[in-house]
Amino acid sequence: MKEILRTIGLSIGYKGQALFPAIDVTLHEGEHVALIGANGSGKTTLFKTLTGSLKPISGQIELCGKPLESYSPNERAKLFSLVLTEKPDDLFLKVFDIVASGRYPHSGLMARLRDEDYEMIQAKLQVTGVSHLIDRDFVSLSDGEKQKVMIAKALVQDTPIIYMDEPTAFLDYPSKVELMRLIARLAEEEHKTILYSSHDLELLMKHSEKLWVVAKDKPLVAGKPKEVEQNIGDYLKIKNLEIRV
Amino acid sequence: MKERKHRIWLPTLLILCAGIVLFVLNLIVGSVTIPLKECCSVLVGEGEETWRTIILDYRLTQAVTALLAGIGLSVSGLLMQTLFRNPLADPSILGISSGASLGVALVVLLTGHLSGMAVSTLPGWSTIGVTLAAFAGAFLVLLLILALSSRLKSMVSLILVGIMIAYIAGSVTDVLKFFSQKEDVHTFVIWGFGSFSNVGKSQLLYLAATILSGTVCAFLLSKSLNLLLLGERYAENLGLNLRRANLLTILVSGFLMAVITAFCGPIAFIGLAVPHLARFTYHTSNHFMLTPATAVIGMDLALLCNLIARLPGFDGNLPINSVTALIGAPIVIYVIFHRQKVLSR
Repeated sequence: MKEILRTIGLSIGYKGQALFPAIDVTLHEGEHVALIGANGSGKTTLFKTLTGSLKPISGQIELCGKPLESYSPNERAKLFSLVLTEKPDDLFLKVFDIVASGRYPHSGLMARLRDEDYEMIQAKLQVTGVSHLIDRDFVSLSDGEKQKVMIAKALVQDTPIIYMDEPTAFLDYPSKVELMRLIARLAEEEHKTILYSSHDLELLMKHSEKLWVVAKDKPLVAGKPKEVEQNIGDYLKIKNLEIRV
Repeated sequence: MKERKHRIWLPTLLILCAGIVLFVLNLIVGSVTIPLKECCSVLVGEGEETWRTIILDYRLTQAVTALLAGIGLSVSGLLMQTLFRNPLADPSILGISSGASLGVALVVLLTGHLSGMAVSTLPGWSTIGVTLAAFAGAFLVLLLILALSSRLKSMVSLILVGIMIAYIAGSVTDVLKFFSQKEDVHTFVIWGFGSFSNVGKSQLLYLAATILSGTVCAFLLSKSLNLLLLGERYAENLGLNLRRANLLTILVSGFLMAVITAFCGPIAFIGLAVPHLARFTYHTSNHFMLTPATAVIGMDLALLCNLIARLPGFDGNLPINSVTALIGAPIVIYVIFHRQKVLSR
């Protein structure tokens, strides 16, 4: 499988203070990986570094074989898309407008949408199961619906990588499960490489394919849920972690 | 899709018709009411000499000034509200109009103080001096804000800095007032009321050119503004150069505000209220729609305010700022209640 992302001796943190030992990891096409760690362990810092809004202390990030710095802002916009915990809060923003903004990196100054763009917006809203919401005001949606709209935006952006910061936060249990399944489906059917952070340990043990576990001053551990079970207990200071499958 | 188009064309038609009606009323109504028929014949180049003078030399210039100022102020306000993602932001938030006030105060008040007589009573004194002073003051503040904005990391800090600059300019203005001649202070206070009647026929072309080009620039920023609405991190991820977008938005908004304040004095509430009217009328926050909508509604509202200020019985001119506040403030109160209702759903 095609390699999409690789970090080489990547050390991250603020003011030259590394959060944990250098990271050497890879992500492949169609792979979805969950990033877990306690609050303050550096998940958001890692996201910020991977998206280029924070400089690494040392080491390199390679996207599709080229270093991240070699891409212009607009090229980056076509390489990775974001789904964040903060959501747009303008009262008059339509679902359509938000999803359409995913086409902005692919359009000119006037942001004109072509017929293909309209079709794509429809299609991706269908994929995330919210095409009936297209004319609604974004603020009037439930948290789960908002999340799916933002994921549709990321799909419309048409990037090989999607980063999601705690996509299951604030959702009720059925919505969390649904979202995890959606992530797996997007990786498989849309060939997306997805890195997402989450605190829902139990769900991750059941539904995730691969985990990256981080903790302050400890090396990042990557592996299948079963393989890293011991580390999770250790890193997150949970005694007798029991996983029911 | 069809229904959506319907929702755009009907209000647009109404707004434009209202604009024409208000414009004509601005020509007809005043201390002397001119019959519509006479007004029309003047406009096609005929009519009685007295009517001609009143309409062509005074009312037409004033109406066009009001229309242009309405467009510029509203668009400038829209840019500020989007930049700060704050519905209560208005064009004066960056302290630009306070800078203009200080400029005018310096010229009107300080010269009077130094030469020992009230400059404003001198026969050679014209509005051009005031306009230039306001322009200089506004632009100095704009340059200061632009320089500071690249050093400030958050937009909230920029608002605070803008408000502080306004305070500094205001306090210097007050000190100047304290030491000035009565007549000069009076001139300054009158300027502060705002007026659409200070622009001469010969200056109208400059006003039109600057405001219309500023408005076109604002429209060209629509894509960036739409992205800014999503929040900075999404905007950046969608390829927006945040620093450049912020800078350009401040520049265009500040430029419009500076020009209008220089020509018409500090005019409040139009820039704050009109973008909301546009959002409610078209139910959109897409700037490709919202910017032109804000411009045409701003035009209508300014013409309406000017008309009210000149109604017969008000003996010439009411201060335009009292009219804009009277109309604008209830709109803003409504917006606040509406937000509360929607957000608590």
